[in-house]
Amino acid sequence: MSKSRYGSNLARWGVCLTVSVLLGLGLPLSSGAQEDLPEGFKQQGLPSPPPAEQIEAGKRVYFTKCVWCHGVEGAGDGPGAVRLWPRPRNFNAGTFKIRHTASGQLPLIDLDLLQTVTHGLPGSAMPSWEGILTEQQRKDVLAFVTTQLVQDRSWQDEEFEELFVLQLDQLTPKQNTPESIKRGSELVVEKKCIECHGLEGRGDGNAFNLKDDWGFSIQPADWHKCWNFRGSRQDPYNVRNIFRTFSTGLNGTPMPSFADNTSVDERWDIANYVNSLCEREHEIPAPQGQVSDQTAQAFSTALPLPIDPLTDKPKSNFVIPSKFVEGDLPTDENDERWKLVPRRWLAMGGQITHKPRNFVNRIDDMWVQALYNETHIEFMFRWDDRTKSIQEDEVDWDPTEVNLGDYGVEEQAPQGTTFAEDPFHQESIAAKQKDGYAVYSDGVAFQFPVKWQELPAPRKPRYFWGDERFSVDLTKWTADGTLGVYEGTGWDQDLTELDFQEEVEVVKAEWANGRWTVIVKRPLKGDYEEVAYLEAGKYIPMVFFAWDGHNGDVGRKMAVSAFYYLVMEPQIPLTTYVYPGLITVGIVIIEGWVLGRRANRRKEKGQA
Amino acid sequence: MTWLKLVEGYMPMQMISELAGSILVFALINWTLNRAGMGIPKFWAGVGVWIYIQLYLKYRIYPPIPFSVRAIYGTVSACGIFMWVSGSEDAWQEFKRPVMNVMDGISGFHKGMRTVALIVIPLALGGFAYNSFLPSFEEPIELRTVHPAPPATTKVHGKTFVLQVVENPYRVNNEGKYDQAYTDARIVEQAMGRLMKDVNDPNYNPWDPNAEGYTKYVREGGEIFFQNCHFCHGDNLNGRGLWAYAFNPIPANFTDAGTIAQLQETFVFWRVSKGGIGLPGEGFPWASVMPPWEQHLTVDEIWKVVMFEYWHTGYYPRTWD
Repeated sequence: MSKSRYGSNLARWGVCLTVSVLLGLGLPLSSGAQEDLPEGFKQQGLPSPPPAEQIEAGKRVYFTKCVWCHGVEGAGDGPGAVRLWPRPRNFNAGTFKIRHTASGQLPLIDLDLLQTVTHGLPGSAMPSWEGILTEQQRKDVLAFVTTQLVQDRSWQDEEFEELFVLQLDQLTPKQNTPESIKRGSELVVEKKCIECHGLEGRGDGNAFNLKDDWGFSIQPADWHKCWNFRGSRQDPYNVRNIFRTFSTGLNGTPMPSFADNTSVDERWDIANYVNSLCEREHEIPAPQGQVSDQTAQAFSTALPLPIDPLTDKPKSNFVIPSKFVEGDLPTDENDERWKLVPRRWLAMGGQITHKPRNFVNRIDDMWVQALYNETHIEFMFRWDDRTKSIQEDEVDWDPTEVNLGDYGVEEQAPQGTTFAEDPFHQESIAAKQKDGYAVYSDGVAFQFPVKWQELPAPRKPRYFWGDERFSVDLTKWTADGTLGVYEGTGWDQDLTELDFQEEVEVVKAEWANGRWTVIVKRPLKGDYEEVAYLEAGKYIPMVFFAWDGHNGDVGRKMAVSAFYYLVMEPQIPLTTYVYPGLITVGIVIIEGWVLGRRANRRKEKGQA
Repeated sequence: MTWLKLVEGYMPMQMISELAGSILVFALINWTLNRAGMGIPKFWAGVGVWIYIQLYLKYRIYPPIPFSVRAIYGTVSACGIFMWVSGSEDAWQEFKRPVMNVMDGISGFHKGMRTVALIVIPLALGGFAYNSFLPSFEEPIELRTVHPAPPATTKVHGKTFVLQVVENPYRVNNEGKYDQAYTDARIVEQAMGRLMKDVNDPNYNPWDPNAEGYTKYVREGGEIFFQNCHFCHGDNLNGRGLWAYAFNPIPANFTDAGTIAQLQETFVFWRVSKGGIGLPGEGFPWASVMPPWEQHLTVDEIWKVVMFEYWHTGYYPRTWD
């Protein structure tokens, strides 16, 4: 038998197998289609009611763990709710976002709700309860919630309820080929996804006019941060999650189901495209959502960011490397030399140390890169912000003033028990997200310790604008065009302008399609007594701050990072090549000596 | 990756027992094989165990431990293995035989091995030296004291508290007297889930409309916790709040037996009141974002929230005696 004949036999078998698998898959799906179900769905019976003991066991779980946010009646109005946005779920209407069931239907308790409790809802305060509650306890609490707190609907209501279930297990994801991704990028325009999610998918399309079923402001997802997708199930780069959300929609929100007007094949293309937009190690630009063949190729092969299993966010690296470049520093983000240096992901939390605290930070991360030459260092900050905010009215305070409480910049009051008595919760953060805040300017800032070379390790000036003993220099850019460099001596001490700010330059500041790009250049050296003197080869502590003007961020109400270290990488010294060479030669000599001695000893033994 | 439960943080007990358990299994396998006359050469057994330990330390533990710590474990385990293989003269001879055979080149195969080793060893060591000379900028390791010594007294809202004497005014029995035994009986169960003991009894359920005294104060403390603290310390008080990923040092995990469970309640009161900025130098006051809660809460609210933390984790505060 010749080799080629064997090969063609195999191919024939392969075709047969593929056809039979496709038929096997297709049959139940097409029988579903006969009952006017959307492609990929199948009807399923309603679940039987849980036993009374299980409901009772679940009540115990609920009142220990859940009541604090979801409230006694499950109306999503526990004591925690007032300072949360997104708000805790109101169970009463039986409206649940993440489901395998068709739009408007109840979720599957033992699949959808169990997964939500197990994996949590990233981007909200709902944590993963796996490892905290046993699987039995998680099922028990669902028995309580679905029978006692969901009041307007029932899983046992044969008359009004039916379940059309997306058969996600039986569908094989389409390979994320460049063609599929490209087709997806065209489909998101055709299906009008971009009207809400924005041209580049940063959720900036219709950021202010969307409301959920309870009238609270809601924002379209930012496709570049898949780890914040509520339905990401601790597996953010899994395309199935996107396919599921796209197929079933999110009940209670403006996100519809696209099951009726897209084929399964089209949905995989869209899911592949959306998944490819989630950030990777290197930026893959697709300006205005235009995907060239080259871009599609890059999307299809880029590896996901490593995700930290403790936080379900990208892994942090606290060292920001900066590379030396010859000549002038870049003038925009498209300069090829930015590719010399990795970009770092800066995790940002709300500033909650001092008043006014920022309980809802709409900026939760930034990307930073740094390059330097003989005289200057340049930082490029890029962060997603759905709105470009520039303060229109003149404010009463000076840019150096930090204690803005007297001007009415206050934090969210706790409300306490009165909150539950206010049916519309007008005083909660969630209610204020639409028009409740005065609009200030977006901004970004970073601080260095002054005279960091003299700090007794590991001492640093306090992360929050320094302290009495050790001051910092704070470089702050605001979207109204101001760039200042200030001396900071403490969180509650007014800043002092430094003359150094005349030498610092905003190379570029542009907001486009839901993202800011801000490039700031500053001299490496200034007055040693006033500003940080940046040197190569050293760990220089840095802290970052960001403001979202539409979130009412101003003064101390902002997002803040942990300490990072800037390292301006020095050129490689000659000794790096010399010593290892010497060591290698030395080892060879030792080897010769050892073997020689061994041979001699054997010879002696032989003679003896 | 939920199928594999990682060793979280530096949990030495779990790590050591897992390592010891697996070494025991190896010893059993080795013994059985020896009995069956199919023994593994001592040299390969020793090298294999050492590689196993290195791989275990590198891939099993999360967050990863630094290279320097792995190097210490590596040296200690190498010493242990050396003691095993050199236990008797016979064992030592058996252990070094493969090495000697290669050095002497007793057969064609061994000669080949010798040539390979002669080339690979200098190259590998030279490469290792090159890597260590190459300027690299790993994250610096800074060791911080998590529970620094508290002061004798602390002043909160103008009132001085002597930490050795003061008691939580809300830790009271139904007669309104300070009573730790009474309140300890009412905390959640120290079993999986840490659930309240009886949801239908106002003595145990803070949300029962008839809850009074201690149990009612727990609920008030919980309300404060879920309006202020959960953002970092998490809905289950395990230090995995919304912003845990953004901050360094990471928020304390109260469900860990190494935090509030081994502290006096007044220590916690001091830490909560003064926050990160109030820590002594060894606690890195400059890096912690923990608020000085005296700026946000009253003294009563702080006592209540501390009590809630003990209730919800099922731990007793340590007493002074």
